Amino acid sequence: MNWINGMWAEMVKSHQHNFHSKMIYLSLFFWPVLLFITSYFALKPFDLGSTSPIAEFFDPDDLMLFLLTGYLGYIFFWSLVQSAWQTSYERQTGTLELIFLTPVSRLAFVYGRAAGNLFEAVWLFSVFTVLMLVIVGGMQSIVWSALPLAFVILIVSAVIWGGFLNVVFLFSRDASFLFTILEEPMEFFAGIRLPVAAFPVWGKVIAYIFPLTFVLEMIRGLVVEGKSFTELLSPFAWLVGILSLLFLLTIILLNKAEKNAKETGNMVLF
Amino acid sequence: MLEAKAITKTYTVKQKQGWFKREKQQVHAVKGIDLTIEPGEIVGLLGLNGAGKTTTIKMLSTLLSPSSGTITIDGHDAVQDARYLKQMVNMIAGGERMLYFRLTGKENLAFFGRLYGLNGKELTARVNALIKLVELEDAQDLPVERYSKGMKQRLQIARGLLNQPHYLFLDEPTLGLDAPIAKQLRSIVKDLAMEQNKGVLLTSHYLEEVEELCDRVYIIDKGTVMMHDTPANIINTVVLDYRVIVTTAHLNETFKHDIIKTASTKQLSIEFYDTGDGTVWEVTASFDPTQVFLDIIMTHHQPIFKLEMKMPKLEDAILQLAKERSA
Repeated sequence: MNWINGMWAEMVKSHQHNFHSKMIYLSLFFWPVLLFITSYFALKPFDLGSTSPIAEFFDPDDLMLFLLTGYLGYIFFWSLVQSAWQTSYERQTGTLELIFLTPVSRLAFVYGRAAGNLFEAVWLFSVFTVLMLVIVGGMQSIVWSALPLAFVILIVSAVIWGGFLNVVFLFSRDASFLFTILEEPMEFFAGIRLPVAAFPVWGKVIAYIFPLTFVLEMIRGLVVEGKSFTELLSPFAWLVGILSLLFLLTIILLNKAEKNAKETGNMVLF
Repeated sequence: MLEAKAITKTYTVKQKQGWFKREKQQVHAVKGIDLTIEPGEIVGLLGLNGAGKTTTIKMLSTLLSPSSGTITIDGHDAVQDARYLKQMVNMIAGGERMLYFRLTGKENLAFFGRLYGLNGKELTARVNALIKLVELEDAQDLPVERYSKGMKQRLQIARGLLNQPHYLFLDEPTLGLDAPIAKQLRSIVKDLAMEQNKGVLLTSHYLEEVEELCDRVYIIDKGTVMMHDTPANIINTVVLDYRVIVTTAHLNETFKHDIIKTASTKQLSIEFYDTGDGTVWEVTASFDPTQVFLDIIMTHHQPIFKLEMKMPKLEDAILQLAKERSA
């Protein structure tokens, strides 16, 4: 009960604090839409026919579906990098220390923070994506029955990813370098705009660091390519492995972060 | 009872030595403090800036772990049982931070209340009661960014009481507040100890506040306790200068000389200053000289125009201690 209470507290606060204006929702809608449109028209001038090199990896006619699913996943993951970044605000205002003054479950706090920011940041773009899937893909090209499972995989993965990022930002006030490290590489290497299979080996190695890579493989396989879950067991196993590792690291780092803060008093430094 | 035994806190700080080099240095913020707080008691923690007050408070509130020594709160170890004790303690700091400015006062309290495991009707009732206690009913639905300094501080007090703590640590709670608001806060603090039996630890730079509120006072300097007693005993021990200033009719020099002679036999020191209003007598002694001095005046049949007694205060004691320390 205390766990749910803690998560709920953080989710409600995130809503009240970070999403207090309609303009924020508008920006959270227009920004990914613009990203998606920019990527689509950046690829358009190239040869996307059946003889193009890209045709080896996916049907160029499905480019828009590929990008839509790619950006949907990206926005889920990226919104959590932003929310983790805002932890520095909590340091500056001293509220982070007050949260750690309470007996709330620390895991509930980091996952509540991730979940709260996630739902608020992505729901509008998710609606847009689903609508676009209907318009672009048509009712027949999409496996609609797989959509709920795809969203569950996306949400669970993103929340675990977000929880991990939150802990990293708790641990260090200088964690904002993650913002730089994760922004462009994740967008490029996780297979948002280009299929991972098209990358050279070193590119694939980087791609498989990001759980988003496997999430996109699952979503595209389930929703666009109509694959059954058993056909996707390999990326699913990898995804579970990476998420378990992130979860484990979250617990370890969280304990270390609080212990470190108790020893150094760094939770109020910013 | 809260009991801290020989607690120390040492930080390791890195000091720049050129572009790439960093040298680690040990900073001993607290060097072995013994301290107790009984339920229903207000205890003061005084010291100059950098004395170790905030570090001590943070150790007592489980935010920092002591480098050595033990802290037990009602029999529970503050390091081993930290999560349990967080339900029993709370801390309120002065200043305008530690609140979510975009949230209303009520939303702030509801957030922190949930972190203490409150929900539903219990949460609503607790939040409403605390808002009433700190008289913020009219502003409860306004964003905190619209609050005045005093309103923010009152909201902080309410936040600090959400978990109904047995022990409350107040770090400069009236910092920068207007006199009426500070008085109101002092009254709340007094009630918390007297009526709700909470143990309160108070740090403040306003020494009159400490003198008014505290049953006992710890004076710390450079991480160690210099003195620990009731405010009255500290004053009596440290301050040896009692002063009485009296204005009478103009006196001639022979008369002054006679009085000085009489006074010296009674361990009083008297200095005279002639002003337009008459002669000002400034009497100093290592004890309260009022009675002895009045006897002298009556013997010499001098009418008193003005009488001012300067009783020593805690501030004088602190200044005296600081002076002795630096000497």
